Amino acid sequence: MSAVTVGATGPVVVNEFAKLRHLRVGLVAGLMVLGTVALTLLSTVTSAEFADPATRTWDVPLAGLSLAVPMVSPLLLAVVASRMVDIEHQGNGWLMGSTSGVTPGALCRAKLLTAGTVVVAATVVTHLAVWALGRLAGIDAPVPVGLWAGFAVTSLAVNLVVLALHLVLSAKVDNQLVALGIGLLGTVVAVFGSGFPGWFAHATPWGYYSLVAVAGYEGEHLVTTAPSYLSVLVLVGLAAALFVLVTSRFDRQEARS
Amino acid sequence: MDTVTTVNLTKSYGRQAVVQGLDLRIPQGCVYGFLGPNGSGKSTTMKMLLSLVQPSAGEVHIMGEPMNRRTRRRQLARIGSLIEAPPGYGHLTGGENLRLVQRSLGLDEAQVNRAVQAVRLDKQLDKKVANYSLGMKQRLGIAMALAREPRLLILDEPTNGLDPAGIEEIRELLRRLASRGVTVMVSSHLLGEIDKAADHFGILAEGRLLFQGSREQLFAAAVPDVLIDTPEPRQASAVLDGRLTTRVEGGSLRIGGIDNRVTARVVADLVGAGAPIYGVRREEQSLEDVFMTLTAGGRL
Repeated sequence: MSAVTVGATGPVVVNEFAKLRHLRVGLVAGLMVLGTVALTLLSTVTSAEFADPATRTWDVPLAGLSLAVPMVSPLLLAVVASRMVDIEHQGNGWLMGSTSGVTPGALCRAKLLTAGTVVVAATVVTHLAVWALGRLAGIDAPVPVGLWAGFAVTSLAVNLVVLALHLVLSAKVDNQLVALGIGLLGTVVAVFGSGFPGWFAHATPWGYYSLVAVAGYEGEHLVTTAPSYLSVLVLVGLAAALFVLVTSRFDRQEARS
Repeated sequence: MDTVTTVNLTKSYGRQAVVQGLDLRIPQGCVYGFLGPNGSGKSTTMKMLLSLVQPSAGEVHIMGEPMNRRTRRRQLARIGSLIEAPPGYGHLTGGENLRLVQRSLGLDEAQVNRAVQAVRLDKQLDKKVANYSLGMKQRLGIAMALAREPRLLILDEPTNGLDPAGIEEIRELLRRLASRGVTVMVSSHLLGEIDKAADHFGILAEGRLLFQGSREQLFAAAVPDVLIDTPEPRQASAVLDGRLTTRVEGGSLRIGGIDNRVTARVVADLVGAGAPIYGVRREEQSLEDVFMTLTAGGRL
């Protein structure tokens, strides 16, 4: 007979991966990749710069990516978080975890680690797919590795912050339509964030998608710019602290009667 | 030795006291029936025993050690529980759900198999929990609680949704566990569902413990009415008029709340007054009657 161990972290994370089975999170992540790549390719092949081999540079797909990521990510991240958390509401999982020594906060942290892994994988696949398809489409210019890597890392960071926010939201509010509605509003903020003043972009996590965009059009000219590293760094620090604080409060929360 | 003891266990939300000054004593290896009408504080008490809800006052000791946030993890390793709705992820099969528990508690295959066999769920493990009946979900929840082979099992209304055969199976399971030395605390608002399994009882109403003790003590706590069989019940009633509360029921006179000494004197008075008596007996009462008496017909 094994000695019973209660509340160890490793098995909690492994269990979260096991719970993903039949949950179609992989499908949602696939849609995220497919949607982002499709929108990027569409905007690339329809741009004037792409038509002329002399101006066919990587700035064009990067501009497409900078637009596609905020269009696709916020809602699908909300869906991923909602699917992963709703099973706890439906299956009395919070209480089951608590009686096995796994507090609701620990469960949320394990979910961020699990869903975060899926999001990291989706991001890597998306960027690799855009690079491969760009090459196939005839973009022979040298890859702006620094700029692209900067965009990949900062947009991933914003995605993880939005994911963390949605995990907390879905855990706090039983009705998942609320979380999905907020995800939809987030998409609007993310897409139109660049049209608002700078302070507005900093006011919500979704606004940061406009701060990490590395290419876009100013009038008819395609311009590139470095992501706002400092802003994203501050966002990640603040979000991490808040996530730890809120999930620690979940740990101390009493079981609902 | 008592497996569970509480001292002045109290829980209030704002000004509303949900559980008041509970001193529970649950002996080792017994099936403790925790009874009370809906809303009497049973679930809150059980959650406090598991340290899922923090008491406003008082203490909980499990197997001689305090149960609180600091000791909870260690204590939970030896306590199985099923609180409120049965747990289970609907998108996974019963077997996959049990593997989650197995991994989370570091159990071996044999422990899980024994728990599954105990609730007779072995043929349903490949089915998704979403397609389980409520009874099957209850069994799965109990299997999850049993898998760690606990020394204390806390079950909140485990017979909810079960058919009569399922209820009998659970009763039998509880008795079997107790015979192996496991202490079982089982709550219900329906006495009939657990009275055959439990040997100790705690009766809760409005957050207060009305009674606690063995089955025999419970019967002794509520004195049953005395029925005096006589062809002249009205004459007999007139003899006792003003001294005792009596009621004529067909060929009997019913007298409530009198002990054996008073019963003997009443019989002597009636015989002395010339009332014909051919039978004196205490009304047979079921545990249900005792429960209803103690809780004022379930109104408490």
